[in-house]
Amino acid sequence: MLAVEKLTKQYGDFTAVDDVSFESGEGKIFGLLGPNGAGKSTTINCISGLMPPTSGHISIAGFDIVKDGKKAKASLGIVPQELALYEDLPAIENLKYWGQAYGLRGSALDTRVRDVLDHIGLADRAKDLPKEFSGGMKRRLNFGCGIIHKPKVLLLDEPTVGVDPQSRQRLFEMVEAERDAGACVLYTTHYMEEAESLCDSLAIIDHGKIIAEGTVDELKAQLGARDVLQLNGDFPSGLGTTVAERGISDLEIISDEDGVLTLTMTAASHHLPAIFESVTAAGGTVNETSLRSPNLETLFLLLTGKELRE
Amino acid sequence: MSFLLATFRKDIARWRQDRTAILLWIGLPFMIGGLITSMVDQDGGVGPMGTLLIADLDDTLVSGFVAGAFSQDEMADLIGVQQVTPEEGTRLIEAGEASGFLTIPEGFQDAFIDNTPMTLTLKTNPSQTILPGIIEDITEVLLDVGFYLQGVFGDEIRQIKAADVPDTLADSFASDMAVQIQQKIRRLESKVFPPVIEVEIVEPPPDEPSPDIALLFLPGIVLMALMFSAQGLSADYWKERDSGALRRLVSTPGLLSRFVLGKALAAAVLMALIGGATLLAGFIYHGIPWDKMLPSMLWIAVSGIGLFAWFSAIQMLLPSRKAANLVTSLIVFPLLMMGGSFFPLDVLPDWMAAIGRLSPNGFVADKLTLELTSASAWTFESRSWLTAMAMTLSGIMISAWRLRTGFARKS
Repeated sequence: MLAVEKLTKQYGDFTAVDDVSFESGEGKIFGLLGPNGAGKSTTINCISGLMPPTSGHISIAGFDIVKDGKKAKASLGIVPQELALYEDLPAIENLKYWGQAYGLRGSALDTRVRDVLDHIGLADRAKDLPKEFSGGMKRRLNFGCGIIHKPKVLLLDEPTVGVDPQSRQRLFEMVEAERDAGACVLYTTHYMEEAESLCDSLAIIDHGKIIAEGTVDELKAQLGARDVLQLNGDFPSGLGTTVAERGISDLEIISDEDGVLTLTMTAASHHLPAIFESVTAAGGTVNETSLRSPNLETLFLLLTGKELRE
Repeated sequence: MSFLLATFRKDIARWRQDRTAILLWIGLPFMIGGLITSMVDQDGGVGPMGTLLIADLDDTLVSGFVAGAFSQDEMADLIGVQQVTPEEGTRLIEAGEASGFLTIPEGFQDAFIDNTPMTLTLKTNPSQTILPGIIEDITEVLLDVGFYLQGVFGDEIRQIKAADVPDTLADSFASDMAVQIQQKIRRLESKVFPPVIEVEIVEPPPDEPSPDIALLFLPGIVLMALMFSAQGLSADYWKERDSGALRRLVSTPGLLSRFVLGKALAAAVLMALIGGATLLAGFIYHGIPWDKMLPSMLWIAVSGIGLFAWFSAIQMLLPSRKAANLVTSLIVFPLLMMGGSFFPLDVLPDWMAAIGRLSPNGFVADKLTLELTSASAWTFESRSWLTAMAMTLSGIMISAWRLRTGFARKS
């Protein structure tokens, strides 16, 4: 349904997306995870036809976005990160206009507009202007405009940024409804918990490259049952080696900098006294301790040595 | 085609929400045009600037000649004459409601004929400076003329006055007097009258009537409305870009060229409405024949799209909304100046008018002027229509190209 093959996008000497490949099928949600500036939006822009790729191929419902753009776009719906609405046009007119942009006409358009208004919970505000809506209502209308033509492939670019928890939950339900209706959903986010709860499979992207890919379970398996322990305090770099000499089984140093030491190991809580003892013996003090059980966020930390939201 | 119409309907619906802008685009040229027209209008509005009160106590032919002299030709535009009684005249001049009060005493005609002294009383309004002086000068000139007439034809005037001619001899008396006066004129004409100067009055040919100056301002005022609205409407591309709508548009299969054409069509309707309102007011005010309305409306609608298309292209070629607003504003005002919106091309020096006609709005205004001032309707040449359409097409092509090449992307 959606296939991205060896996608590269360069701006002069800067490579924003570097040889990215992934694919997803009908009735699946594929997550594209990464920090801000990782290359997620550039990938989405290339898929949606907003910018041409430097090299590589993108296929939507079997049509190449560059060579057969009109047919590819007919199967594509997009919910951009920032609102893409006419705030001075009533909600119902927004939906109608975007429906017409996708070729819907007459009674089919009217019926679909009514259905979408019900689906996004704005039927009673259909004739109001979006500029009078709350942020959550605007987000829902933005989503409605993206699904007005029942797209086979739906792109959601960080759809929950700046959204309150209640609207976020409503949005998740709408995304799952599209998935259940058979759409292939590409969901970009930098919230790992969203990806874990929504996505059937996902790819982690950093500096324009995919650094891990698979189902949530497969990715968690890469991490094993190991916890991630992070210590912040007054100690020099090189403390990790001292701790490792304690003989803790499967301990691995993720990063070791002045005042910040990140380690991974099985059952980290059992080893805390020994680790603190090593710090004290080295003449350092610990001000803050963070112990996280295995999840996608810790996997990203393991893979890149940095926090996802840095 | 239906996406074009959908875009057209969408823009019309959106502009209906912004009635203030449309009223301003109509109102501003109306205001400026109204001021200009009222200043230059030669026929309407400018009444006599001062009032001369005359109390004619003599009520004779000669006293009537004096009173009538103030109502002749251009003098009537300057001074309104009001016949009053002495009491009423005194009251009005003391109340400061007139420029002067002239009293012609009883016996003025006899005194004039007999060449005896007589006093005319002229009271002037001290709060006015120019008009009372003019009235005073005219009165003195009239008296001088009377003095010379009396000096030259005094004998004949006295003979006529003293004549007690029976009806049977009246005709021969009148002819004698006529011959006598005629001979006197012939004797004097070489000394009194200046050499004969022949004046050839050249009237314009019937198909080129000389239009009044206020009418010449009308096309420029209409173009001012079009230019302001074209600039404002074209800025909508930035508004749509900032709203993210253009970004979404590029991801749809809807053709960008139809989107641009739909916007141009909506702009044409709005500009026909805005320019048409100005034009309609001009038609009514100047009494322009109604058969010129349709071609004039079509011309401003077609030209309006051209102006909109080019303003849009300029807006989209610039790197930011601020830069676009600034540059288009910097373009509008010199073009209005050059293109005849503040001074009609026909009253500018030839070289300046030639440059003005090369500007897009000057070109449109020039053709509209010809239509409004010519004897017949539909004066627009096919070349003019083609030029306007070429301007439109080129602007639309540049706009569509910019949409495809990154303008839609919100940075």
